[in-house]
Amino acid sequence: MLFSGPGDIMLNYLLRRILYLFPIVFGVMLITFSLFYVVQSPRAMALQILGPKAPKEAVANWLHNRGYDKPLFFNTAPGKPPLDSQFFHYIKSLAIFDFGVSDATGEPLTEVFKRGAIPSLLITLPSMLLGLFLSVSFSLFLVLVRKSLIDLTGVFICVVLMSFPIMDYVILGQWLIAIKTSYLPAFGFNLEGITTAKYLALPVCIAAVAGLGAETRLYRSIFLEEINQDYVRTAKAKGASPNRILFSHVFKNGLISLITLVVASLPFLIMGSLVLESFFGIPGLGNLTITAIRTSDFAVVRAVVYLGSLLYILGLLLTDICYAAVDPRIRFQ
Amino acid sequence: MSIKSLRSTFLPENPILPAIVPVRFSLVLVALCLFTGCGNNPHPSPLREKREDGSPWKTAYRALPDTPRSLDPQVSYDTLGHAVIGMVYESLLQYHPFKTDPYELTPCLAASLPRRLPGPGGGAIYEIKLKAGLRFHDDPCFAATGGKGREITSEDAAYAFKRMADPKVECPILAVLQEYIPGLQKAYEQAKAKGNFDYQQPIPGVDVVDRLTLRLQLVKPYPQIVYWLAMPFTAPVPREAVEYYDGRRHGGETRPQFKFHPVGSGPFRLAEWNRNRLIRLVRHEDYRATVFPSEGWPIAENRRFQPVAGKPLPLIDEVHFTIIREGIPRWLLFRQGYLDSTGVNKDVFNSVVSIGQELTAKYRKRGVQLHKDTEPSTFYMVFNMEDPVLGRNRPLRQALSTAYNEDLSIEIFSNGMDIKAEQILPPGVFGYQRNFVNPCRQFNLARAKELIAAAGYPNGIDPKTGNPLELTIDVTSDSPESRQLTEFQKNQFEQLGLRIKLEENLWSRQQDKMDSGHFQIIAYGWRADYPDPENFFFLFYSPNRPPQGNNHSRYASPEFDRLFEKMRTMENSPERLKIIHQLNALLVEDCPCVLLSHPVYFSLNQPWCPRVSSNPLLSGGLKYAEIDSALRQERQAEWNHSPHWPLGFLLLLIGGAIGYAVFWTRRHHA
Amino acid sequence: MTPWLENLIVIGGLAILIATLWIWAHSDRWQRAWQRFRRDRLGIASLGIIAFYLLVGLMASLRLPAPAHGQACPTILDRLFSGVPKEKSYSAPFADTTYSVNRPEPLKGRHPLGTDVLGKDVLLQTAKACRTALIIAGLTSLIYIPLGTLLGIVAGYFRRWVDDIIQYVYITLASIPNILLLVAILMVLGKGLSQMAIALGITSWVGLCRLIRGESMRQATRPYVEAARALGHGPWVIITRHILPNVMHLVIINLVLGFSGLVLSESILSYIGVGAPVGTPSWGLMIDSARMELSREPVVWWYLVSATGALFFLVLSLNLLGDALRRAFDPKSS
Repeated sequence: MLFSGPGDIMLNYLLRRILYLFPIVFGVMLITFSLFYVVQSPRAMALQILGPKAPKEAVANWLHNRGYDKPLFFNTAPGKPPLDSQFFHYIKSLAIFDFGVSDATGEPLTEVFKRGAIPSLLITLPSMLLGLFLSVSFSLFLVLVRKSLIDLTGVFICVVLMSFPIMDYVILGQWLIAIKTSYLPAFGFNLEGITTAKYLALPVCIAAVAGLGAETRLYRSIFLEEINQDYVRTAKAKGASPNRILFSHVFKNGLISLITLVVASLPFLIMGSLVLESFFGIPGLGNLTITAIRTSDFAVVRAVVYLGSLLYILGLLLTDICYAAVDPRIRFQ
Repeated sequence: MSIKSLRSTFLPENPILPAIVPVRFSLVLVALCLFTGCGNNPHPSPLREKREDGSPWKTAYRALPDTPRSLDPQVSYDTLGHAVIGMVYESLLQYHPFKTDPYELTPCLAASLPRRLPGPGGGAIYEIKLKAGLRFHDDPCFAATGGKGREITSEDAAYAFKRMADPKVECPILAVLQEYIPGLQKAYEQAKAKGNFDYQQPIPGVDVVDRLTLRLQLVKPYPQIVYWLAMPFTAPVPREAVEYYDGRRHGGETRPQFKFHPVGSGPFRLAEWNRNRLIRLVRHEDYRATVFPSEGWPIAENRRFQPVAGKPLPLIDEVHFTIIREGIPRWLLFRQGYLDSTGVNKDVFNSVVSIGQELTAKYRKRGVQLHKDTEPSTFYMVFNMEDPVLGRNRPLRQALSTAYNEDLSIEIFSNGMDIKAEQILPPGVFGYQRNFVNPCRQFNLARAKELIAAAGYPNGIDPKTGNPLELTIDVTSDSPESRQLTEFQKNQFEQLGLRIKLEENLWSRQQDKMDSGHFQIIAYGWRADYPDPENFFFLFYSPNRPPQGNNHSRYASPEFDRLFEKMRTMENSPERLKIIHQLNALLVEDCPCVLLSHPVYFSLNQPWCPRVSSNPLLSGGLKYAEIDSALRQERQAEWNHSPHWPLGFLLLLIGGAIGYAVFWTRRHHA
Repeated sequence: MTPWLENLIVIGGLAILIATLWIWAHSDRWQRAWQRFRRDRLGIASLGIIAFYLLVGLMASLRLPAPAHGQACPTILDRLFSGVPKEKSYSAPFADTTYSVNRPEPLKGRHPLGTDVLGKDVLLQTAKACRTALIIAGLTSLIYIPLGTLLGIVAGYFRRWVDDIIQYVYITLASIPNILLLVAILMVLGKGLSQMAIALGITSWVGLCRLIRGESMRQATRPYVEAARALGHGPWVIITRHILPNVMHLVIINLVLGFSGLVLSESILSYIGVGAPVGTPSWGLMIDSARMELSREPVVWWYLVSATGALFFLVLSLNLLGDALRRAFDPKSS
């Protein structure tokens, strides 16, 4: 196929990026497969369930019923298709998003995930935006007062904030906002329009504040790097006001690095919400995962790992697109 | 619940990527102030504000520590599931809400208590007549009546028994009942061979006599059968619902499985079940099975119960079971008035219960009620009798039991409220000996050391290796409390000089180990299915081995088995008592477990929702509960008062920072 | 394992670490950095705090001979605290009686940080948990630092297909969200300190590898490398003699900052329920238990404060030390 115009170059670039993702998805499948089928082998699982003294036929029967008696990777038995193996069945079902059923409840996982996605997003998305907003504001503030005592103290406070585990923020937040002052509910969740916000406010704020230290420090260094660039000096020489320099030049140029960082930080939100959701009783994916860990529901954990990586890979793709849109040079590389 | 409502309400509040800092700052502040106006009530609003007659709609708020795995009455066998199933399904019989000493059964769906007739060959026949005109909940599965709940007939009761025998249903009590109704076993095996269960074919022994009469034919006497008739397993189930809710796709819509969508005959029907958050029940308009009892309550309660005696049930309209896995929020919500009732866990005990085990002044003033109930249950640590070390060494087991200081455990972990267990039977069950002294359960370290020396391990040292004897306790420690208790248990046994290894298992692994017998010591608890000694001694009956049974210690004593078989079909009598004492003595001597405690639960009720029934065996007692909504609203407002100064302080702080920034820029860049 | 072998391993590990640092510290670059670092008061202070934590961890690891046959060998820390009695249950810091409103009982001794529900001294537990944190972070570093450095340099130096393979592996690993991968690995491997170190090691080498790869790519085009190549030195000589010394400062900074992240991860994993096994003293488990105690009335606050405080000061000083090292090695960037 021939690509000629600039639009085609972009398309070409995108296609290349998307094609590049396939081996990664394959790798993720391979990793999860090895973890849950090879390391924790079905035979060991069967012996655990049926007891080490279980008769051989019982074990074989158990394995056969679940398709675990097939070869792991390639079927070398004569007369059988070579791809009739556990691995390829696993890949096939993941590729069409058929996650099977939960080990604990027997519910189809696709349904479970659909139900959990909205509460999860309602936590992670606002907390990311709020966190971004707060940390960008603070870092701009620090850049504005750079090299002063306030700046040094600010950076120190950031390091202090970074040094607490997220549970401490949750415990403190719940104790202060929900128990001592009763501003917001300490617990609960309900999707019912506007009042949903009152359940979300506390976890969202906690998530935003917990990430504040690290992010502020990061953005501060990004903006400081920009401020030392030549164009800022030129603007200053031309007599632009410091506020104008900061907001229209430094902020805009720093935004590019910011976008990448934001997309890269998406998976970390899951980590935070894992703890948050179980603390606040929000029926999202994080809560689901913790429950699955505690009830050793391997099917759920397996599927969550796969889904999480898919989301991350999607994030990578989006970053690439953002980059390419902002900086045309990238497309030609 | 739909995404549409979400988009319209939530997005406008989200700040998009900030362009100008101060403007957005103030926006956030405004949003923060808006939130604080919302208050801290965590519950979604009830379905309605008013009843049709204009009186207030009454909603009860309760908490569940986890979401039930299944609401299938023929499958669920845990207190969690029964707490909800008992509300959604009625059984043929039920426990009297007030009569607990002794426990008394009353008819529920049945018109009267079952009539016992002599059966052929020394067996027994139980004839059960159903009340006429009772209906199932309205549900789309009743296609023939256009969604209106169908009348309950004896076919439905028989259908429940058929489901028990269906291999696909996996009913946990089939093994018990098939011994008396062999037809169940035959049907089970036929279905297993054929691959599917034939629901058309009647089960011999479960006979439908007419539209409202069912006859159970037992091949040998089993007086305890009446207790099973009061449990959810025998609750009538509409066949339409089981077939309709199959978990498959029908015309673009996936129907939930039956276990997630119960359709029953109870005082409430399921309106919403959000798996990890909330179970919402709403009153069943056509509920006629029971009314408020007209006698039986303590005389002191005359003034309260006289006016409601004989009234139709339920007295309230809606029930919210909020799933709260953590203990703190549960207590917190109760304190804020958002739960009507809660248990008292040890962490908050001191603030609620004073020295004399009475309510502290703070909560007495609030009008909160404190209840102390002994659960008909026993906790113990199982020794694996097939373990080469523990199984053949009676003095070793006795030494371990003697070294375990349960009094201290009760003091630390339950504020001295639990009752130390010295026999397997809990108080309230026939055969419980009030002043029984179990020599191995009197903490005595010196005696324990003598015993362990006699066992061949002087000072806990294994003479073969010269090292301390090592024993393993298998645990699942998923909560801080269980972790602390596990450590306590380890310390107790280690007083003998031996070494305890804690092996931590995921829950399923622990179950597997218990079923297969690959463990040395495991903690276990048993709650009475019904108040009969048979239900506790069968924990040590040798044919009752796991995975089918619950004899986890794998205790096998021909003498015990012989006495047990004699005891279990007897009616309560002095002879039965004598055998029970013999059984007890055998267990004390052989020591297949360390008996720990009979838990005593302290629970609290809010002033607007005083407790009605104290019967721990009655699930679904909420149908008798009454709620004063006005009082609740008043108290909630009173107890949840938010100060305003921290917000002002926050505002000041942010304003100061902005001001300083402006000042600083002016000075340095001007 | 005999206690002496255990002691030998601990001391040996420490000796190897110090020896490695000593060897590197003789290069010019490190000498200059040291001169700068010496003037950095915050850096020196945090180094002191970390040394203190290491000392506590060491004391909690080294075992003394058993007092009597058949008994467990106590650690130095146990011996130091042997005079501290076990109480019945909770007691507040410096209290005279147990922490009970209804029935306070006199204590057997003084406890500067109080006691927990089983009457154990909280100070001792906090100190013991220090060992758990250091062991996990240390073992993990032992796994991921060599792995990440080596793969990074190899990828950066050889480029082409070697680089492609290594990049593919780490991008794939990085695309599984860290916490989920950790949880999955730990669920499969089971609970335990070494399992945790393995899981954390698998997930944390990616960042270092990426960093080192970039830096070695830059170094590989430098004239001195070209010169070495012209002189006929083989690739392994160039890598160990020329490139490795020039990326080592990045490794050290990454080690220090990574260490703080690992200590935090340990506590979070223990909290989620896949971390330290029951009975192991761990800050994460302590925080988890403290959660319940905060709702007690009156509040049991010292358990949370001790665990959080100990964790916080270690992580804070590691973060500050990392920054100080960065300033010392690369004065331009800050």
